[in-house]
Amino acid sequence: MSNNYQPELIATARDFNEVIQLVEAGVDAITLGHQDYGLRVPGDFSIEEIEAATTYCHQHQKKVYVLANAIFHNDKLEYLPAYFESLAAIQIDAVICGDPSVFSLLEDLSLDIPVTWNPETLATNYQTLNYWHQKGISRAILSNELSIDAINEINKQVEFPIEVQVHGMTCIFQSKRKLVQNYYRHINVPYHEQQAKHIRQAKDDDTHYPIFEDVNGTHIMSNEDLCMIEHLPLLLMSQISGLRINGILKSTDYHVQVARLYREAIDTYLADPDQYELKKAGYKHQIYAIQPDDRILDTGFYFKEQIY
Amino acid sequence: MTKPITKKPELLAPAGNLEKLKFAIHYGADAVYIGGTQFGLRSKAGNFSYEDMEEGIAFARKYGAKVYVAANIIAHNENLSGAKDFFKALYDIGIDAVIIADPALITACKEAAPNLEIHISTQASIVNWRTVDFWKKEGIPRVVLAREVSIKEMKEMKEKLDIELEAFIHGAMCISYSGRCVLSNHMTARDANRGGCAQSCRWKYDLFEDGIDGAVSVSEQADEAYTMSSQDLSMVEHMPDLLELGVDSLKIEGRMKSIHYVATVVNVYRKIIDTYFEDPENFTLNPAWVDEIWKAAQRSLTTAFYYQEPTEKDQLFGKPDRIPKYDFSGLVLDYDETTEIATIQQRNSFGVGDEIEFFGPNFYHFKQTIQAIWDENGEPIDRAKHAMMITKVKVDQPVRYYDMMRKQK
Repeated sequence: MSNNYQPELIATARDFNEVIQLVEAGVDAITLGHQDYGLRVPGDFSIEEIEAATTYCHQHQKKVYVLANAIFHNDKLEYLPAYFESLAAIQIDAVICGDPSVFSLLEDLSLDIPVTWNPETLATNYQTLNYWHQKGISRAILSNELSIDAINEINKQVEFPIEVQVHGMTCIFQSKRKLVQNYYRHINVPYHEQQAKHIRQAKDDDTHYPIFEDVNGTHIMSNEDLCMIEHLPLLLMSQISGLRINGILKSTDYHVQVARLYREAIDTYLADPDQYELKKAGYKHQIYAIQPDDRILDTGFYFKEQIY
Repeated sequence: MTKPITKKPELLAPAGNLEKLKFAIHYGADAVYIGGTQFGLRSKAGNFSYEDMEEGIAFARKYGAKVYVAANIIAHNENLSGAKDFFKALYDIGIDAVIIADPALITACKEAAPNLEIHISTQASIVNWRTVDFWKKEGIPRVVLAREVSIKEMKEMKEKLDIELEAFIHGAMCISYSGRCVLSNHMTARDANRGGCAQSCRWKYDLFEDGIDGAVSVSEQADEAYTMSSQDLSMVEHMPDLLELGVDSLKIEGRMKSIHYVATVVNVYRKIIDTYFEDPENFTLNPAWVDEIWKAAQRSLTTAFYYQEPTEKDQLFGKPDRIPKYDFSGLVLDYDETTEIATIQQRNSFGVGDEIEFFGPNFYHFKQTIQAIWDENGEPIDRAKHAMMITKVKVDQPVRYYDMMRKQK
């Protein structure tokens, strides 16, 4: 292992308070944004709030990545130049995008903001990521439906940093349709946007898929919360650049505590792998202790085969 | 106001196998899209071997029709080997274009078969003009738009850019942005974006509101299951809006659908497009075209995102709507003018006294009651019960090979 390898621990933030707490918990970078431009932001940040968060993070040598990975329709393109110019002026560290429109847009604006590629389900092989690298991306966030072997293979075959999610919910469905409101109208029951909801497979009582709507449509989230805290060596040994924690639909207390545990786990492993081995069950137990009752912990697709 | 002068668009039909390809083309498709044995999203559709493709192309050429191959998986590392050989083989066979979503396969295709035309699949969720322009600058001559694109947005793209646009006009739809759904992966460990879609969006769910004291089932209280399922797309009543806009290719979904479905739907849209271009100023919708579409429909129909965002009225809740179902009863193989007797291959049971309908290309239709049936040996029979049996049937009007006989269930 190269001695100077230091992975980035990245966490989403819902508001400025969460930014401060996450920085204190030891994350290296914060992901934030506004639903008008980004997908599944845990909370909306205005430009002023992004500026405040960026100033704070930069004072603490942390980075800020802004989610702008929505599937933009024509009308949204009109608002993007001003948004990107504001982000550039604030000197955020990267925009997270997933639509090819971003390349010509940044070029037309002569803006030199690093682009992290995040087309969610579409970042599944290294040749595709190398293609987008040629178009100008400087980083990529891999799809969540990949095995550890596939992730390591990609990491080996690309010459730019990649990020993977290690904890939290993952999105498993996005529709432009308002599929929750539609249902409430159909059954003629008042719809309350703020009310948390989930769906359950009619044939499987144990399932629990959070569902919500925002300006980007309807989002369905995974049945499990990903939790890789006891498997981190698999990612750290192959020197994956970014490890992400998604705090969407979780309390700040939970999210910050999880971030703190991952910080400790990573640092412990890098300093002394044997020590990590002794402590990893403890990390997992600490997460279990705060895990909401209705959320299963799981390793997602890291060790799961898919057929097709 | 006079109608803008536009080019007659291509009518593009699905062909799940060689037989469907022949029917789609014979009934008026200008082009068909098929799947190969690799890289396609319909692992359960018939799919074409290279030999099938050769035969399909030979058939298409006689009609001046084109054949495209969908290679629109979102590939994983292990799926990439063999891609170059695949595209080279398609080019050598004479395939007119490939439909691709994943840039890794675009790269492989460009390297192995630089002259093989590439169309970007709807799986890439192209919904804005800058993204269309991105692909144009990559040398791509045509993009298949996402089903979320409205008429207005399509018009903006057409005005800004000179590139072929392909849009769906009929068939089943992903409820998600295509490619952005991994319900199957998570619920069944089947990779939706590599052909394993389990159609989980059409399943029944219970929707719960989460409270401090636990979750409450809204579905149970309302006695109505939750689902994301949508009606099927149909632009049959609105074709002038697409034809005036100059969309270059109009696509019908359904490689898994029957030949009766493909023939019926292609027949209708062929007729509408031809009628419009004969005299755009005086085009009016013939209710018979709409009636005909319903004979193949499997779900209620919607215009999806073309005019407005779909509401609960565009979804499929509760019991399926009652749609009259038709059986494909027989395929006309031959016709004797002097005796007015047709040779018909049985596809579903029919018998003397049944009210049936014959139809063929160019929107040819007539109904009759079956008066007499003979088996292969010339013996009169009451019913044609055996699958694929060859029968003779007395017909009221002339019929031709490829004409079809249907019966309401």
